[in-house]
Amino acid sequence: MVLSGRIINPGEVTAEAVVLSEPFSFIGDFDPTTGYLNLPGAEQAEVEVAGKVLVIPTGKGGTIAPWIAYEAAQRGKAPAAILCQHPEPITCEAAIAMDIPMLVSFDQEICKVLSSGQVVSIAGGQVTTNGD
Amino acid sequence: MKLDQTEKDMLAGRQGPGKQRCMEILVKFGEAMGAEKMAPLFSAHTMPKEPLSLLSELTEGVDEPGVFTTLHPTMSAFCMRNWREMGIPQEFAEKELPLHRQRQEVYERAGFFQTYTCLPMLAGNLARAGDYVSWIGTGLQLLTNSVLGARTNRDGTVVNLAAAIVGRTPYYGLLQDANRKAQVLVQLNNLDVPSLGPADLGAIGYWVGSRAQSFNVAFDNIPDLSFDQLRYLLPPLSVSGSVPLCHVVGLTPEAPSLEAALGGASPELVLSVGPDQLAEARDMYSRQAPEADLAVFGCSHCTISEIKLMAAYLKGRRLAPGKRLWVGTGFQTSELARQMGYAQTIEQAGGVFASACVATIPEAPLPGESRVVSTNSFKAAHYITHLSKGKVKVWVEEMPAVLESVLEPAGRA
Repeated sequence: MVLSGRIINPGEVTAEAVVLSEPFSFIGDFDPTTGYLNLPGAEQAEVEVAGKVLVIPTGKGGTIAPWIAYEAAQRGKAPAAILCQHPEPITCEAAIAMDIPMLVSFDQEICKVLSSGQVVSIAGGQVTTNGD
Repeated sequence: MKLDQTEKDMLAGRQGPGKQRCMEILVKFGEAMGAEKMAPLFSAHTMPKEPLSLLSELTEGVDEPGVFTTLHPTMSAFCMRNWREMGIPQEFAEKELPLHRQRQEVYERAGFFQTYTCLPMLAGNLARAGDYVSWIGTGLQLLTNSVLGARTNRDGTVVNLAAAIVGRTPYYGLLQDANRKAQVLVQLNNLDVPSLGPADLGAIGYWVGSRAQSFNVAFDNIPDLSFDQLRYLLPPLSVSGSVPLCHVVGLTPEAPSLEAALGGASPELVLSVGPDQLAEARDMYSRQAPEADLAVFGCSHCTISEIKLMAAYLKGRRLAPGKRLWVGTGFQTSELARQMGYAQTIEQAGGVFASACVATIPEAPLPGESRVVSTNSFKAAHYITHLSKGKVKVWVEEMPAVLESVLEPAGRA
């Protein structure tokens, strides 16, 4: 399967996907010292996203989120990439601050067609699932 | 993006590595937002708690920011001058002070004005209607867009710092006329708004923000309000919601008429606020006990007028044993308060001035004994409650009740 999106920050990476169904913020939903999610009650309550491809429907507020993301990157705890269906400025800024690949606005609902644990490859504006 | 020669030079590294990195960030971000060009900034206002490595990277080779730049309070109640008098623990200060000093060295070298206030317009950073700025702080962004009419996006801390260093920001969003029209109309009924104090005004803003979410708002039929009233009414809209802009018809620069505020269109939502809605909002932070451990003023930072009122109330009074009174205001304003004698009166009563963010308390742990906080600010009540995860109880009242909650009863002082 190949999905096409718009490039916010370019780069190439192949890694396992972590797919969330709710809007994500680097403030509160993420621990920058461990690289783990912090989503009490959610299916992926404490899943590691460091080194993985974070797949989200959209991001949400908090002007200091880019700092949190930057600090995670400095510690080697940043996601490998972000795929986001509906882009919002703060999460785009966070990806640029971490300098990790970020693609948005896909031709298919990315959070529905990808599932956690799947290995995906990002190159240019395209996402390819492994084995295709 | 289309860049001018100066912008191209910065991006190519001809003005040093720091400005080059800033331009790289801004160009990428601008393209992500669909901006076609950069806007030259009138001024910037940044958050002085950057990760040190980021601050060093973005200011490498920079001996002057690209534009006049002031600093917000740190995201903390920790005041680097008066933390002892505030009762902030020594071990917290010992951890924070060396980091502050390292950042201060950069601010001094790079020419950032160390104002440490959330009202930079009162400290020399006076943007005018139509100016493009990049100012941090959600409440301040709302005040800037609405009351000054200067234009800022809700930039994050990295884009904001980069914008200050190069004096440019991507031209998109709230910088453009088309995105500044109100979509939500608020009508106030059966309320004598000009006679309302900070607690009531903040409650109205808090109620409206939770319903207006991220839309632009217009308040209609408010006859007249002072700056002090506007800075209590408006910022809560960015706390319970994420409203970026709120016109006050007849008062703010882009809203000479309701039609102008709405851009000639019909509102998508009309909210009616009267005594019932005000009471509903006040109930969220109602006073459960007459006493408090700590009284907090200065969210947003106290103006000299508010400090004058406080000093008049505190003349000859003293805090009860073990109680605390924090007055958040910029160094510039507390200097003026000292010149006028107000600061001495407030300090003799036991109060302490903090050029810090008195609403972000968990970052600077409360004096150990504090469990109940009183304030006249809905914004402070929201943040202290949420950031302390409910460990601290906060209630909101007008100034006299808040002061009485920490004072020796009158006549016994």
